[in-house]
Amino acid sequence: MSAYRVHRNSQRIDSQSPLKFTFDGKQMQGFAGDTLASALIANGVKLIGRSFKYGRPRGIIGHGSEEPNALIQLETGAYTVPDLKATQVELYHGLSATTTTGFPSLHFDLKGMAGTFARFMPPGFYYKTFMGPVKAAWPLYEKMIRMAAGYGRAPVEADPEYYDHLHHHVDVLVVGGGACGLWAATLAGRAGLKTLLVDEQNEAGGWMLSDASARIDGKPAMQWVNERLAELDSLGNVTVLRRTTAFALHEQNLVQALELCQDHLPIGSRNPGQPRQRLHKIRAHHVVLAAGAIERPLVYGNNDRPGVMTAAAGQTYLNRYGVAVGRNVLLMTHNDAAYDAARDLAEAGSRVTLIDTRLRGAADWRQQQAKQAGVELMLGYGIAQVHGKTAVSGAQLVQLDPFTNTVRGKGPRLSADSILSSGGLTSTVHLFCHNTGRPYWKEESLSFVVPDEGRQGISCAGAITGRWELSSALAQTHAATSAMLAGFGRSTHGDCPQGDEHEVAATRRLFRVPDGLAEGHGAKAFVDFQNDVSAADIHLAVRENYRSIEHVKRYTALGFGTDQGKLSNVNGFAIAAEALGKPISAVGTTTYRPAYTPVTFGALAGSHKADTFEPRRYTAMQASHLKRGALFETVGQWMRPWYFPQGKETMHQAVDRECLATRNSVGVMDASTLGKIDVKGPDAREFLNRIYSNAWSKLDPGKCRYGLMLDENGMVMDDGVTACIADDHFHMTTTTGGAARVLNWLERWHQTEWPELQVRFTSTTDHWSTTAVVGPKSRAVLQKLCSDIDLSAENFKFMDWREGTVAGVPAKVFRISFSGELAYEINVDACYGHYIWEQVMAAGDEFGITPYGTETMHVLRAEKGFIIVGQDTDGSMTPMDLAMGWAVGMKKPFSFLGKRSLSRSDTVRSDRKQLVGLYTEDPKVVLTEGAQILSTPDATPPAAMQGHVTSSYHSAFLGRSIAMAVLKGGSQRSGDTVYVWAQGKMHPAKVVSSVFVDQEGVRQHA
Amino acid sequence: MPNFQPYLQSPLVNFNLPAETVPADSSQQVRANELPLLGYIAIRGELADAAIAAAVSSVTGASVPAAGQFSTGDAGVLVWVSPDELLLVTRRAELAQRLAAFEAAFAGLFAHAVDNSGGLTCLSLSGSEHVTVLRHMGVYDFESLAVGQAVSTVLGKAGGTVLRLEDDGVFLIIRRSFADYLWLLLRKVCTPYRFAVAKLAESGSHPLLRLLDKQHAAPARKAVTA
Amino acid sequence: MFQLHCPHCGATREEEEFSYAGEAYIARPANPEEASDAEWGDYLFMRKNTRGWFWEQWQHTAGCRKVFVVKRHTASYQIAGSWTLAEGKAHYLKESEA
Ligand SMILES: [Zn+2]
Repeated sequence: MSAYRVHRNSQRIDSQSPLKFTFDGKQMQGFAGDTLASALIANGVKLIGRSFKYGRPRGIIGHGSEEPNALIQLETGAYTVPDLKATQVELYHGLSATTTTGFPSLHFDLKGMAGTFARFMPPGFYYKTFMGPVKAAWPLYEKMIRMAAGYGRAPVEADPEYYDHLHHHVDVLVVGGGACGLWAATLAGRAGLKTLLVDEQNEAGGWMLSDASARIDGKPAMQWVNERLAELDSLGNVTVLRRTTAFALHEQNLVQALELCQDHLPIGSRNPGQPRQRLHKIRAHHVVLAAGAIERPLVYGNNDRPGVMTAAAGQTYLNRYGVAVGRNVLLMTHNDAAYDAARDLAEAGSRVTLIDTRLRGAADWRQQQAKQAGVELMLGYGIAQVHGKTAVSGAQLVQLDPFTNTVRGKGPRLSADSILSSGGLTSTVHLFCHNTGRPYWKEESLSFVVPDEGRQGISCAGAITGRWELSSALAQTHAATSAMLAGFGRSTHGDCPQGDEHEVAATRRLFRVPDGLAEGHGAKAFVDFQNDVSAADIHLAVRENYRSIEHVKRYTALGFGTDQGKLSNVNGFAIAAEALGKPISAVGTTTYRPAYTPVTFGALAGSHKADTFEPRRYTAMQASHLKRGALFETVGQWMRPWYFPQGKETMHQAVDRECLATRNSVGVMDASTLGKIDVKGPDAREFLNRIYSNAWSKLDPGKCRYGLMLDENGMVMDDGVTACIADDHFHMTTTTGGAARVLNWLERWHQTEWPELQVRFTSTTDHWSTTAVVGPKSRAVLQKLCSDIDLSAENFKFMDWREGTVAGVPAKVFRISFSGELAYEINVDACYGHYIWEQVMAAGDEFGITPYGTETMHVLRAEKGFIIVGQDTDGSMTPMDLAMGWAVGMKKPFSFLGKRSLSRSDTVRSDRKQLVGLYTEDPKVVLTEGAQILSTPDATPPAAMQGHVTSSYHSAFLGRSIAMAVLKGGSQRSGDTVYVWAQGKMHPAKVVSSVFVDQEGVRQHA
Repeated sequence: MPNFQPYLQSPLVNFNLPAETVPADSSQQVRANELPLLGYIAIRGELADAAIAAAVSSVTGASVPAAGQFSTGDAGVLVWVSPDELLLVTRRAELAQRLAAFEAAFAGLFAHAVDNSGGLTCLSLSGSEHVTVLRHMGVYDFESLAVGQAVSTVLGKAGGTVLRLEDDGVFLIIRRSFADYLWLLLRKVCTPYRFAVAKLAESGSHPLLRLLDKQHAAPARKAVTA
Repeated sequence: MFQLHCPHCGATREEEEFSYAGEAYIARPANPEEASDAEWGDYLFMRKNTRGWFWEQWQHTAGCRKVFVVKRHTASYQIAGSWTLAEGKAHYLKESEA
């Protein structure tokens, strides 16, 4: 046992279960039930970090999520976690932690030694740097900041642990497992409501775990807590989640909570089949916020020295963990409650001097208790400054004026190895405020609190409403919960639990303890430890005319960081209020935003990572593609074959081969990913007339037509071929990526504008497998598979479709082409997709049939000048811009979507960007897609951009490069030479038709 | 013409579930398997129209289900999708006959049937933790899904329809192209539980399981993954 | 993330199941060809962008695919109700008159 370990009957550690761990490589011992922080204190560790700006030595201040200083790096390699608060890390056997600050090392810190860094970074450093004339110096600052900043190192290896999400729908969610939360859950559970209670700690009880003397209903509070837990366990409708922090509250009571399922276990003992952490997404009809309160320290000179803590931390380490934070303790308070910490520490054998800033001190009974325990009381004093550098050695006291927060006279200098302070409690209002709620300043509690009555769907219970005494907190909880139950139409079963009634003396309204000097002239008095914000910094911000607390926050960095100002905010607001000469209520708070405490990326991702990060959609032919060595690219979630390299082929070589095989003989492509929509009803044809730019009135059954879909702004949004199945029935296809969007588009227009049209849309994208057989030999291939369709050129023309059987399977065969070649698309029930593909491959074998992917498809269509919506268009291209005026039926009686926009002054401009073809002067140059086009070779800025390249490929068939581009006034510039800036060079190129192959269409009509 | 021998493949064929299938037992906390190669027909028509409802019932032998529910009949299971859409899950072998029957029954009505058999598949999900597993995957309140109810909702980042025919488990109807993803996701979220690809119950009277055709089973294939 | 009631499914579901579909009841000009550029531009581009109670369209994309209207407060995210397009229009018109 170290000098700091004591035995307390209340302790929650198991002194029979010692645990070994290392801190900065040093072997140490703690016990089961310890946090890393309690074990470190027990091992006499005081110095745990260096401060961000000044490199000042820092130690543990708090005992939970409020801790600003004790940020550690846990474990190494793939399991490493940065920036954990030692106060929240449960100790386990073999734990390894390191400090994260100090450059080059914790004990020898350059920032701290030279103090140079501080000079660089006054409050408002970033504002001043970027707004002011010193902007040029930023690179220098940046180098220094990067060297010294940050608290931990992000893991660089993949996280081997499992995480998941779990959704809940409950009647009542109770946040907080202290006495009030437990009572609210008990009443909700007894009323038969589906209830979930989440608590941040490894065991329920809240402050009762720290306050050994609390009693409820005449028995020790922890006994009452255990009775409640046993009762909740016995109720089938109540779930209690421990180690679970509700960190965000969103609209309509969606609460996110993080459960640390296995963080408390040695890495080797964790079950890889269970989540390390689980993200709970809880939708609750009603939320009870019983999140309690956190004690804030007072603000005084050198209050950041290692060994300075909150009184609540001192009391918690003692009673819960059996660790005395010091053997010679000074405790400064402005309220009665902190007397308990002094009393308990004295009982445990420490020498305790209690410095009460109030001249009369606490209520008599507390003064008596303290004195009996051996506490020395000094009334009407405050600490002006702490002595000691890397550890507390003592403090200089001052005598305070009893009425104003000024110094009346000198006080003694006392020695100490630990200094505690209590500046009162701050309600944990965060969740109430995440979603538009605002706290209000309750002067009698000296805290921003939430209203007793909560708000719609949210009840507030206990200390969160500013009730610090257990008896009144429980009474308020009982009332608030009963009101909630009444809202559910349920009654309350049980009487309000009784906490002991205590006489309590008035608190002194004090935040910054005066030291007799003007602010900024004495020792630094810290408000925000993590961001090194002192009281003087806040005064400076106000002097520099920052009036809004949100601006003061951003100027000074008050309340930022991993602790989110849990200790500092109220002190900061109060000091700002004083500097501004305004009441705190008028200053208000900054905005509370999720997350309450940090959440790992692993938990946020859950199962949505790696192969299930997002859906990867496959066609029925996937196995065929894999067998033939396809490489894949993602197109709108679909995994499409990209190209099929043979041997050591590069992509370029493979695509050349695939293109030539298709143009010279026959290729085959999986077109199953195209969106397909069954459009049927008496008004189907009229609907198509309205939704497409071209006319559909004369399309007969058995025929197909290419259609352009415009948005109401006249811009091309999708395209595809639609086949007429019957007079009232069409088979529409859309782009691969546009399928869902188009279906919703059709539904919206039908439902909102033209509900009178009798037509329905049914997605059949997944039903049909589509095998495109492409090339001069495609007819020969089909003839081997198909006996009941006349495939002759005269009886099955280009843009016809036929129903029949292919290889014995019912099929719809479309004679359409996205390559300019003779081509057929075979559509079958996708369950036959694999079979048909393999049959086509076998039948095509004698012709050297060549499977090809999206890359070859792109080259073939570009050679033919076919656009790809989203590549050659960007939402600002009309059909006319694309030289596709032929696909616009201006004479249609109904003003189809986008028609009116085609005659707007902007859309009829002659200098719009229009689609053209480009031939580079050097046929070997393949331009970069996206490259900018200029009219002259002179690129001296400002060079007027004329357009850009949209598609660019090497065409093996043409033996040269081709490109499609959009060019201002392009339709009138055929034959011009333009200049394309690509790959660091200017390339002259000639404007040509965007149809590079077979302008007459002989091939596709063959 | 050669003697073609077409075969059908279900969307999950590449996982080769038959090879993984084990008998169901009570130690398995989550049991799943595919009901491959069923017939699926989308029925489109205003369900509130009595003539259309009567036509649907005459073909399926099932009453038109109320919103959020399904019904069962000779033809199979009839699932409510929207006020103007039902999904009939039927025997694949009876597809052509059903489609023809709908065409005849809907003559003169603004209603029709669309074959979607290639586009969907069905999973069985049961076991003591099957609801928990759904809660890992989707935002819907799956604990509230009662026998007789069907819900179309979001599972992971895909859609799906969940039908509860009995307390012990549910059936999921999912799209072919998302089947791979949803199976992988299902397996992943089952990590904490004892999971098995379990043999489906042999039940000649089960409204859904009885629709499985044996004769179309695809030739056993080696598992292929991307 | 809020919950919406789909009047067609008769069920309250999570926002993930729905897609936002813009301001409700923007009437498409009956004769677009007769609309001036200014009028057409107004229809195309101008939206109320209300801070407060707002009538908007949602589509139940993961469910019944129906479009319906929701009256939602754009600042507080309170939802006053949801209706089919036809039912909602009556409420909407009554409010517009008031
Ligand atoms: Zn719906």
